[in-house]
Amino acid sequence: MNQVKLNSENIRTWLLWLVLPLVIGLIIASSIPQPVVGIIRLDDAIYPYTARDMIQQIHYAMENPEVRAVVLAFDSPGGTVVDTEDVYMELTRLHAKKPIVTAVNGMAASGAYYLSSGTDYIYAKPTSLVGNIGVIGYLPPVPSIFEEIISTGPYKLWGAPRDSDMRQIDMIKEGFFQAVKLGRGKRINPDVVFTGQIWIGTEAVHNGIADAIGTETDALNKAAQLAGVSHYKTVDMHDLASTTTQSYTAFFSQSKDGATLPYPTKAGLYMLFIPQIPGQK
Amino acid sequence: MKKNMLWIAIAALLVPILARGLWFYHGFPHQPKIATPDYQNMIVSSPPLETPNPVADKDTKQLSGLALFDFAHTNQYQPSEIQSLNEAIEKRGGKAESITDTTLLENKLKYASAYIVISPSAAFTTDETRIVQSFVERGGRLIVFADATRGLISYDFNSGAAINNPDSNAANPLLSPYGITVNNDYLYNLKKHEGNFRNVFFDSFGKNELTFGLKQVALYGTHSIKSTAGLILLRGDESTLSSIDDAHDPAEGGAALSENGNVLAFGDFTFLSSPYKNVADNATLIANIADFALGSKQVISLANFPYIFKQPVVQVYPSSKVQLTAETIAAISSLQTSLRSTDTSIEIVKEAPSDGDALILGTFTTSDDLLKFTDPFNIDLDKSTETISVKNLGDIGRIGNGLLLFEKNKKGNTLTLLADTQENLVSLLNTVSSGSLSGCVLQDNIGVCSIGSGSSFSGDSGTTSESTSTAEPTKIEATPTAAG
Repeated sequence: MNQVKLNSENIRTWLLWLVLPLVIGLIIASSIPQPVVGIIRLDDAIYPYTARDMIQQIHYAMENPEVRAVVLAFDSPGGTVVDTEDVYMELTRLHAKKPIVTAVNGMAASGAYYLSSGTDYIYAKPTSLVGNIGVIGYLPPVPSIFEEIISTGPYKLWGAPRDSDMRQIDMIKEGFFQAVKLGRGKRINPDVVFTGQIWIGTEAVHNGIADAIGTETDALNKAAQLAGVSHYKTVDMHDLASTTTQSYTAFFSQSKDGATLPYPTKAGLYMLFIPQIPGQK
Repeated sequence: MKKNMLWIAIAALLVPILARGLWFYHGFPHQPKIATPDYQNMIVSSPPLETPNPVADKDTKQLSGLALFDFAHTNQYQPSEIQSLNEAIEKRGGKAESITDTTLLENKLKYASAYIVISPSAAFTTDETRIVQSFVERGGRLIVFADATRGLISYDFNSGAAINNPDSNAANPLLSPYGITVNNDYLYNLKKHEGNFRNVFFDSFGKNELTFGLKQVALYGTHSIKSTAGLILLRGDESTLSSIDDAHDPAEGGAALSENGNVLAFGDFTFLSSPYKNVADNATLIANIADFALGSKQVISLANFPYIFKQPVVQVYPSSKVQLTAETIAAISSLQTSLRSTDTSIEIVKEAPSDGDALILGTFTTSDDLLKFTDPFNIDLDKSTETISVKNLGDIGRIGNGLLLFEKNKKGNTLTLLADTQENLVSLLNTVSSGSLSGCVLQDNIGVCSIGSGSSFSGDSGTTSESTSTAEPTKIEATPTAAG
């Protein structure tokens, strides 16, 4: 009888001192989130629609602690100057908190490279296109007046004198160059990379505008490593950030037969790679 | 016992937490120092201030002369873009005229001081090139402005592929005889530039009047100019590179002058336009170009006819053996009409002119008043022979031929017309009145025109005939400046 009582007390003791804490520990442990490495994809140009989408994802990554690092996966020729700068500045805020790694898929040209330059590490595939650092702008027409259009100043219609427009573009370029210098440091030779040339991934690694040849998986692993996490979960940030429906305006022009052309629909200032189309008139 | 159990409990609590935590997290996140571009302190560059022109207005040379602007080769410019050069030319007493019809080129270059070709797209024909070369050989000045931002783009009919036709293609055949080449490139400088990498500063200059007073000029999208024997006028620094090979070539620059000093080539003409004409020393450069354009010393010979007179009035003197018949008067009137288009009028005088421009009418019959006009040419008008011996032209038959003798001196230019008879003199006058000597054989300042049947002469080698020229207009174009 005493033996039975003793066993019963032992069981209670073990339950109290071992099993119960273990269960509590397991419950608490289960509340430790699996780290997330988020992917922000950009498979388009950078313009108001895509920029707002990216910024929402960036904000989500900043506000949610389970997102320990972010990978930017690019296949983008760049885009408008203002939207690129907008995303870049938001990215720097995120970067102050969490590691960011770039994976260049098809292309990270011009404005897309602007965004890449501020990240911790850049992977490119051997034939990804990387670079094209610089700004493109269309000078306004020579100021003139029209009988049927009344404006209140010589540049109301045209925005700016042609000469000052040109100089503004050069100043904008300086911002781009500074961003690249800050991001890439001594890995690049400014005399080479600021020519505006675009390189394939292999060359991009040789001249320091990318760090290594690799894929999105490499980028995810690198981001996890920089964040100090493992056994992480990969999540497309677009799904998490639940981006709202936004008005969409086509960025690229279309030919008469409906094909998308690499030229923007509107004149303006761009950090954009515009490839030549064979045979395009 | 209880103490041991407590440790066990703590361990049981922590192990799963630590296990899961360490499973996922095993270090601190990488925290790089974040820096962003200093956007707020970026400033838009300003153009370099215009530097004073060392030549004050009151010291501007008064040169006169005509600058003939080519507008017949699909030239890619608007007159408003070169207004500064026109103004500089006019300020010096010169005139600017454009030519849209190449058939008039030869005639117009007879009296032009400079032929200025800007960004041509259509090719110059062999004949046009020959005419321009002849003009340069006579001392005329050829100025070619190309521009890397101009040129025409055409499209292949089948593939639709763009075909670039830079202005260097049309400019080079004009320049190559003088060892100058416009490269199909543009110069750029990523380190030091005027607002954009393609706007290049030049602060090293070839020593020449064209670069007088220059410390720094800026060209805006310029081809590089190469000269084998001439002088590179505008040289960029070592960071000025050519788009062809992204390299610096000290033997190339933004402008070059030929070895003979009469052919000038620029890779850009945007610097002539506002507001770039006032940047740095560009205004001084434009003034120097105007001086160069009007500083031509074109050698006037019979080939320049009818632009061979300098004065507004030409004195017509019928020598003592010539009668002013109705036919002669009619021929002189016809000549008056022709010369009026060159802003020259004629006046019949009774005394042999001793100064001023003059047209002397005579026959092959020797007379005292005619001698002073024929003697300088060593012509033997001896009646006993059937031919007249003319230096360099040989023996010329008296019958059916007319002689033109052109003499230049400081007091004025004189053209003497001689024929065997009064009737043939009228024929010779009519030939001259046509405004063209294309039917005559010209040798320096002596010409022989066939004015009737039975004419013949046995000429020496080395004669030139205007009849080989093409598209000679029968009407004299209206531009009034007679060169001298």
